[in-house]
Amino acid sequence: MGETALKICGLQSVEVLKSMINLPIDYIGFVFARSKRQVNRSQAAELGAVLKTWQSGVIPESVGVFVNPSLEELGDILSVTPLDIVQLHGVESPEFCRQVKEKYGVKIFKAFSVQRDGNLHGDLAFETYDGVIDGLLLDTYDPHYGGGSGVAFAWNQAAPYQRWAKQRGIPFFAAGGLHPGNVEQLISVMSPDGVDVSSGVESDGIKDLSKIAAFVERVKGSMTQKKQVPDEQGRFGPFGGRYVPETLMNALLELESSYRQFQDDPEFQAEIDYLLKQYSGRETPLYYAERLTEYLGGAKIYLKREDLNHTGAHKINNAIGQGILAKRMGKQKVIAETGAGQHGVATATVAALLGLECKVFMGEEDTKRQQLNVFRMKLLGAEVVPVLSGTRTLKDACNEALRYWVSNVHDTFYILGSATGPHPYPMMVRNFQRIIGDETRRQILEAEGRLPDMLIAAVGGGSNAIGMFYPFVEDTSVQLVGVEAAGRGVETEFHAATMTKGTKGVFQGSMSYLLQDAFGQVLPAHSISAGLDYPGIGPEHSYLKDIQRAKYYPITDREALDALQLLCRQEGIIPALESAHAVAQTLKLAPEMSKDELIVICLSGRGDKDVESIMAYTEGGVEL
Amino acid sequence: MNGAAVNLIEQTFANLWSEGQTALIPFITVGDPDLETTLDIIVELERAGADILELGVPYSDPLADGPVIQRASERALVTQISVETCIDTARQARERGVKMPFVLFTYYNPVLQTGLERFFGLLQDAGVSGVIIPDLPYEESEEVLKQADRANIMLVPLVAPTSSSRISMILSRARGFVYCVSSLGVTGERSAFHQHVDEFILSVKSQTDLPVAVGFGISSREQAERFSKICDGVVVGSAIVRKIEESLPLLGMKETKEQGLLQIRDFVAQLKIKN
Repeated sequence: MGETALKICGLQSVEVLKSMINLPIDYIGFVFARSKRQVNRSQAAELGAVLKTWQSGVIPESVGVFVNPSLEELGDILSVTPLDIVQLHGVESPEFCRQVKEKYGVKIFKAFSVQRDGNLHGDLAFETYDGVIDGLLLDTYDPHYGGGSGVAFAWNQAAPYQRWAKQRGIPFFAAGGLHPGNVEQLISVMSPDGVDVSSGVESDGIKDLSKIAAFVERVKGSMTQKKQVPDEQGRFGPFGGRYVPETLMNALLELESSYRQFQDDPEFQAEIDYLLKQYSGRETPLYYAERLTEYLGGAKIYLKREDLNHTGAHKINNAIGQGILAKRMGKQKVIAETGAGQHGVATATVAALLGLECKVFMGEEDTKRQQLNVFRMKLLGAEVVPVLSGTRTLKDACNEALRYWVSNVHDTFYILGSATGPHPYPMMVRNFQRIIGDETRRQILEAEGRLPDMLIAAVGGGSNAIGMFYPFVEDTSVQLVGVEAAGRGVETEFHAATMTKGTKGVFQGSMSYLLQDAFGQVLPAHSISAGLDYPGIGPEHSYLKDIQRAKYYPITDREALDALQLLCRQEGIIPALESAHAVAQTLKLAPEMSKDELIVICLSGRGDKDVESIMAYTEGGVEL
Repeated sequence: MNGAAVNLIEQTFANLWSEGQTALIPFITVGDPDLETTLDIIVELERAGADILELGVPYSDPLADGPVIQRASERALVTQISVETCIDTARQARERGVKMPFVLFTYYNPVLQTGLERFFGLLQDAGVSGVIIPDLPYEESEEVLKQADRANIMLVPLVAPTSSSRISMILSRARGFVYCVSSLGVTGERSAFHQHVDEFILSVKSQTDLPVAVGFGISSREQAERFSKICDGVVVGSAIVRKIEESLPLLGMKETKEQGLLQIRDFVAQLKIKN
């Protein structure tokens, strides 16, 4: 099957259009006919200008959508907005089409609306348009608007139109009622030359970038498939996979198929969107850190304020997604592992919200470091299980959660908190966290009119970082910087610098970089930050490192603490120790950059939970 | 493998079969409490009537294991035991005259770090007959199986009560014998097994000509007897490892070591079912 052309109609906002410039879209449509998506001539001129800045391959062709316009009306619009194509939706005659074509030198797409009785609206005979149109678009007739109604088209009636278009060598477009959830099926059933979408990529009547991106991904999927990760087996290049006991395989396969099924379900997505907005308070601000920027004297620094989420960190994004998935799958019990306690608290919170029974596994060492979070989880009705095996930290909490899950797969859902573990977790967690990057993209375009030059995020397992990076992976102008914990220094034994010092291995269900000895025994990690105190890292990060798309730097406990204090004093924001690592790396990189460059730091969590351990280090005279 | 030497596992099961016997397959962690004692224990296990021995490679993150074997791993890892040391222990046991086939039980990462080709070469040289890798499901096993076949080492697969539709697929690549997991969960003694365990085992048996062994949670003579009626081998792990743990004070002193070894031997001997 050849490539399917993609046409998105009804664009009104310059900001939204700017946020789309990296997507492979073939046609962008502006509606001049009376409709809720109507634009006037000056808006159209402004929108048309954005197309010239398109960054994804070929610049999309501009399409003006009209219903029974006069020649004068068209001339007026074309004088300020040079359109490539005029799309006619009314009962325009073949003769009229010819006149427009000849007078203005534009291509003509004719839209035909099929009525309920199977006839075309306006009793048009499509065969009479032979030689005067350059594309045929088929839609469902709507008496109020004459087409473009968003009502699903009766696809089975398309065959004669499609055949006719093919014989004349002009593209055939399917329109009406398409959305990210059904377009793949349409393409596989009909193989149209192109698809047209408008309301199917909107939320509350406004174009929604994440839906647009999803739609583009579905349509262009076959084209970009080679680059799509993970593959069927959950592989990101050589990384990822499913290295788990056979006992868990069925549960993972069931999880994957449920996730894929619900992923495309608009109701499922709407439920998540609702909670992210009304419960967690998204979207989170993209804040210009003016004083920090001035202090460092280099690149302009923005903070993506994930710390302002409900429960104080990005972890809630994923917990909401998996919690709702658990409920849809009919599981009444959820379990989670936690290091710093942020994911444990997020899971306990979501469990309370959704009425699920919750058990959180936490290394005994971490329960001491993070007593406040232990209490929060208990307050939220969760059971906290202290893990006494191994090093008694995050990795052992994961082991214990997996062991528990093996015994209780029939009624228990494991809400894994990082972009780690066996497939489909790394993919699923990434997708639930990509809202960080999606929002950032929209916000920075709004604020600066362009993409950032660098994204910086802390990496333990790597969920906030991959959520931030993922929507920018194809934008090679954006540098991706992950920051890992160097603890007391990468030259000592006390660090968690998986990328700097680790080697490839299999750990907790997937192939990835790993801190291990020559015999394949996993080494204990160390960091002042319990959330980064992990000897592994998500497989997609390992992949991004190997293909040299992202760079990873180590930051010591001391550097993180200094950065934390600096941010407190410069901006009045107490970051989590995890996020302070990202700030510390910024302190190194920003001064070297020019003032017109842009950095976005993912401020993944707030520091309240760490105040006690910070006190111990700074005032208690603990040696670092 | 056509024409290649018969693997010791196959031969052992064939012999037991002709005598109407069920194989007793103990599991111990190599290096628990130290390598020398492991060798002594291996010798005693054969005297006690063990037919095949599973040698567990201690690992820092034993995902499929319960607390008893986790503790054994921790004890063994105090002296940084590698896969190679474990394989060498098998070779030394052979030199001491132990005849039964060995199956190495190891998580995948130590194998990966040793290198597949080298790993199977070492097994072959040391006279180890099979390998069980609990965190290597069917989907990830293709390359490992290729190398194992080349070295005539049996890659023994695990089949779980939840495997259902996956069973035939797993059996298509099974070598040596099939290891049926008697219950969901990690290794360790338990009083109750999966409620459909008999059906499950019989279903596996009906789909393969290979011997079928049952493990995970079998700890007493009664349980061994119960399963020996429907399968070809019974694996006992945690119960023996716990017995070793209980005998540590005796094993730790020269004067009482014999007594400790005898305790372990007696425990294993009563697990052997003579039909």
